[in-house]
Amino acid sequence: MEPLKDKLVVQELSKEFGANEVLHRISFSVKDGEFLSILGPSGCGKTTILRILTGLTPATSGHIYKDGQEITHLPPSKRGMGIVFQNYALFENMTVLRNVEYAIRLQPDLKPRSREIAENLLEMVGLKDHMKQYPHRLSGGQQQRVAIARTLALNPDVILFDEPMSALDVDTRLILREELKKIQKQFGSTMIYITHDQEEAFALSDRIMVMKEGQIQQLDTPRNLVDHPANEYIERFVLHNIQLKIDSLIQYVRSEA
Amino acid sequence: MNRRSGYGSLSVKLLLAAFFIVAVILPLISMFSSIAGTDVKAIFTSARFTTALKNSLLSAGLATLLSVLLATALAWCIVRINIKWKGMWTLLFTLPMLIPSISHGMGLIVLLGSNGVLTNLLGIQGSIYGLSGILVGSVMYSFPVAFLMIVDILRYEDSTPYEAASLLGIPKWRQFTAITLPYLRRPMISVIFATFTLIVTDYGVPITIGGKFATLPVLMYQDVIGLLDFGKGSVIGLVLLAPALIAFVVDLMNKNRGNMSYAIRPFAPNRSKGSSAVAYALCIAASLLVFLPIAAFAILTFVVKYPLNMTFTFNNMLRTLDMGGGQYLLNSVVIGLFVAVIGVVISFATAYLTARMPSKSSRFLHLISITSLAIPGLAMGISYVLFFKGSFLYGTLAILILVNLMHFFASPYLMMYNTLGKLNGNLEAVGATLGIGRMRIIKDVLIPQSRGTLAEMFSYFFVNSMMTISAVSFLSNINTQPISLMINAFEAQMLLECAAFVSLLILAVNLVMKGLIYLYKRKTQKGMEAK
Repeated sequence: MEPLKDKLVVQELSKEFGANEVLHRISFSVKDGEFLSILGPSGCGKTTILRILTGLTPATSGHIYKDGQEITHLPPSKRGMGIVFQNYALFENMTVLRNVEYAIRLQPDLKPRSREIAENLLEMVGLKDHMKQYPHRLSGGQQQRVAIARTLALNPDVILFDEPMSALDVDTRLILREELKKIQKQFGSTMIYITHDQEEAFALSDRIMVMKEGQIQQLDTPRNLVDHPANEYIERFVLHNIQLKIDSLIQYVRSEA
Repeated sequence: MNRRSGYGSLSVKLLLAAFFIVAVILPLISMFSSIAGTDVKAIFTSARFTTALKNSLLSAGLATLLSVLLATALAWCIVRINIKWKGMWTLLFTLPMLIPSISHGMGLIVLLGSNGVLTNLLGIQGSIYGLSGILVGSVMYSFPVAFLMIVDILRYEDSTPYEAASLLGIPKWRQFTAITLPYLRRPMISVIFATFTLIVTDYGVPITIGGKFATLPVLMYQDVIGLLDFGKGSVIGLVLLAPALIAFVVDLMNKNRGNMSYAIRPFAPNRSKGSSAVAYALCIAASLLVFLPIAAFAILTFVVKYPLNMTFTFNNMLRTLDMGGGQYLLNSVVIGLFVAVIGVVISFATAYLTARMPSKSSRFLHLISITSLAIPGLAMGISYVLFFKGSFLYGTLAILILVNLMHFFASPYLMMYNTLGKLNGNLEAVGATLGIGRMRIIKDVLIPQSRGTLAEMFSYFFVNSMMTISAVSFLSNINTQPISLMINAFEAQMLLECAAFVSLLILAVNLVMKGLIYLYKRKTQKGMEAK
């Protein structure tokens, strides 16, 4: 296997809101086609990283490179990145098809094929039968699929997810997880996935970046996190929590019997 | 957010802030400074002032009590009891909001004055002029506003605490004292202050039916219109500012309950036959209260001379139109439409900045946008006279448009602020990554989703501009006068039938506006639900 190129390189990234330092000189890189999770409790700065990467929030200092080009000061639309939010953020006044088609229609070169592109994307996420409906008629899982299809419309090579499944029930999460992996394979896109759910991070990721109070605690494969936790924090809050979940599940199954 | 849109929004913010400073803050400063030249102590200690102050506090206090009680009872019937035609009752109860306060005073004269319809019909003795007339008129004028506020409060109360309490075996009366009262306390305080402010700052009812029972707004009106004593007027205007300011602060403090993010479970209406019967009786009684004056206006308008000659005629209508009624109606409609169009645009722009681009300057803009809630119309009017006198705006329709715009700005602004605040906060962010700019998101996503609110705002600006008599009374002249001010003039000339016709006319125009808005909203809603 040939060594993977770096898709994104982040150097010394800091963010302050007034006197409040949310990110402290963070550096990391993401490989091409990698699935990277950013795991941490609320307020650890993970959403801020995502907003800075997409250009929605300016960084206080530091540099971001994509494919070797500096993109630190590019506007969001010029970065070739897509974003999927926890609360879907669909355009409620447009049909499912329109939601996906809207951004494509604004690109002069893509406009003639906009309908075709949108329909193909909806077919892929299994919603072609629902394309004439309005979002409020769909279930949470279906709405999130529309949001994913909409994000894919302009064919971004990096897709960022901001806790996309926290509002969904367990079954839907499991199904959507599989679909995400499928989409990643099909598009070869690099995915950065923000979550506070340890289990989700371990199930999905090539590598996991564990964060606490604006700093990276450890960035490694799930296997290495388990085998070689970098510090007590990883042991207590990442591994211990997963162990607790497993233990309580076993106990539950036993008490049922 | 990229840098360019940052500068764009900043310049819009500065523009709006400058507008509010010229249209609200500077006139208020003029009013404050005009007090410097007057002997405030002499005014405060004069018997005329102290009597009026006492009268105002007494009448407004009692009327507030009655109004809020009536409004609570009616709101309870609509929200918590199983009765039919709730939409129709609500429409009927809010009809009084479509005519000027002065019409309510006049309605009472027509019904219960010395030659009134009911006086003659029932042979009633005694006089309606004075405190009792002010009370009835003020209740009619203010209860619809209180009613709408209380309906909202009751509708959004969560029923789950009661279910939990019932499961725990807590008796009904304890549920009332331990759950209901604490829940209602804060919002009801807001309602009481708002109602009190509405009543205590109104001159329309007391000037028509108060007789010798003079209140502060009447005093102010006489000082300014009759004696051209702006200094004294300003002092009273400032006194009237106090309750409005208190109401404003109380409301601000009460609003900070935090957003209720959990889902509430509405109450199942009480289905007992007894409570429905009581509710129907109450609704019918209140509808009569609303309907009688309107019926009386119709009688007066369409008979030759009540009660002497009861032949049907259109002459009173034609006579009113002859005396400038047509021109003044046109003035009012022009003012109303301009206020509505400009008001919707400015309040949308402001609400967008404050609700969807939060920052320190947004908070300042928000505060300045709602300050008009704390300024009674009369005070607003006199501050405009003092600030704009001698400017090119003075004596034109434009100044009436401006004063109405600012007088009624806060409520429609808050409607849009709430609507935009509820729409998903990430829409612009999604747009930004997909190459869809802020303006496009506004045009294609936010405006289509706030059409209902936009229509409500338009209607609010228009209807209130049609019926207001306070801020415009000091600012209009013989050419620019809106039709609502004719009621006072006709009433003073004892041309009650003409005043009655004008009241009906204003009601009719406002009903047409409400009807159009209703049809528009129904159409847009159906469009959304069709597929």
